[in-house]
Amino acid sequence: MINIIGTWIAALLTLAIYSFLYKDNPFYKLAENIFVGVSAGYWAVVLWFDYAWPNLFEPLFKRGQWYNIFPIFIGLLMFAPLIPRISWMVRIPLTFTMGVAMAVSITQIVQGDIFPQLQATFLPLKGIPFFEAFSNFLIICGVISTLVYFYFSKEHKGALGLGAKIGIWFMMISFGASFGYTVMARVSLFIGRVYFLLHNWLGVI
Amino acid sequence: MKVFERLSRLDRRVIFLLVALAVIVPMVVPLNLPVDITKPVKRVYEMVESLPEGSVVLISTDYDPGSEAELYPATEAFIEHCFRRNLKIYLMGLWPAGSELGNIALNKIAQVYNKKYGEDFINIGYRPGGAVMLLSLGRNFGDVVKVDYQGIPVDSFPLGRKVKSAHDLALVMTFSAGDPGILHWIIYFHARYGVPICGATTAIMAPQQYPYLSSGQLVGLLGGLKGAAEYETLVNKRGRGLRGMDSQSIVHLLLVGFIALGNVILLYQRRRR
Repeated sequence: MINIIGTWIAALLTLAIYSFLYKDNPFYKLAENIFVGVSAGYWAVVLWFDYAWPNLFEPLFKRGQWYNIFPIFIGLLMFAPLIPRISWMVRIPLTFTMGVAMAVSITQIVQGDIFPQLQATFLPLKGIPFFEAFSNFLIICGVISTLVYFYFSKEHKGALGLGAKIGIWFMMISFGASFGYTVMARVSLFIGRVYFLLHNWLGVI
Repeated sequence: MKVFERLSRLDRRVIFLLVALAVIVPMVVPLNLPVDITKPVKRVYEMVESLPEGSVVLISTDYDPGSEAELYPATEAFIEHCFRRNLKIYLMGLWPAGSELGNIALNKIAQVYNKKYGEDFINIGYRPGGAVMLLSLGRNFGDVVKVDYQGIPVDSFPLGRKVKSAHDLALVMTFSAGDPGILHWIIYFHARYGVPICGATTAIMAPQQYPYLSSGQLVGLLGGLKGAAEYETLVNKRGRGLRGMDSQSIVHLLLVGFIALGNVILLYQRRRR
């Protein structure tokens, strides 16, 4: 029974959202506001039960991990800007967060992203089938010309200008591919909703 | 040309209606259009085929209901392939709703193949923390994963005792809709612990993954609903992916037609001026 009610609510809210394509109306506004409210409530529950309670409060209150007071205190300083006299204290948690994020990501991004990607552009052009060599040549050309486009210390004239222009072409082709995929993604989402309406709600297919 | 004048003033709601029809009609009356298999999808299939029976695959469902339409069909097809090959599955999610969606697919397919919880698969639920979580997971899997999604100690299951570190995993398959997701698995897990990574992403994210495919950091990729349809073809399962591809193809044709027509009208109007 609960599933049937859920399906009906989901179907009616879906139709309410799509009604915006005809024109703005109260049903759309209602569905939009419900979505915002439910999302906020959902995230509040997730943040409490998956982050704050198991990592901070449960160890503090149930296992006597008294030193958890410090992260709680530092976390509370995020609200310092609400009191102008101590607003400067927000720098403490911000600095801490930025420091940790940098420490975690810098080494791994160099090791796991920059170096392997750089290595992947050192490609052979000889002793391999023609099409593979041509494909490798395109990759090398694309990387170098795109990098040339982002070199701003010299005016883009002559050889540098030509390189930058080729770089623009590579980027345009890349944006085109991304846009094509974006269209496909949006259509897929619509297909998903139509499938839900026809299969789960109406049972036509 | 009066037709061009009229078309240039066409109410855009007519286009919405045509797109809706292009989606609904092929869904009600399937056309069964062929789906070509691309290399990145085939590589995922071949990777699963190459694993010995009993190997442990970690599936991370890093998406939410907003991307369910694109990633859920791929999740079902991949889980089915793993169970057919008698592989063991660890399910988790870097997104809170992801592990729930993965759990629905896992339980549905497990029933079909008579797979038992704790022996053939385990759901360790939502694992918050993104990059930090992945780094800890690789180093001390057993210390990080103490309980499953219901709070039951994983050590109480035979499969739970099998995985103690990243080296006990034969493959990671991430179904990813954003951050944290596939990029985190590549940079923070594969780079440090060397476990092979396959991925399924939303179509929007797919082009960004191609550099990782060509560098070998990513073994294979299912991009959007098309990737799911290709995988369903490979595992011989007619699911939501293949069902949606008829509509997708017709809508794409329609959109290409609209773009061509729009350009013809624009050229005509420019000439008249």
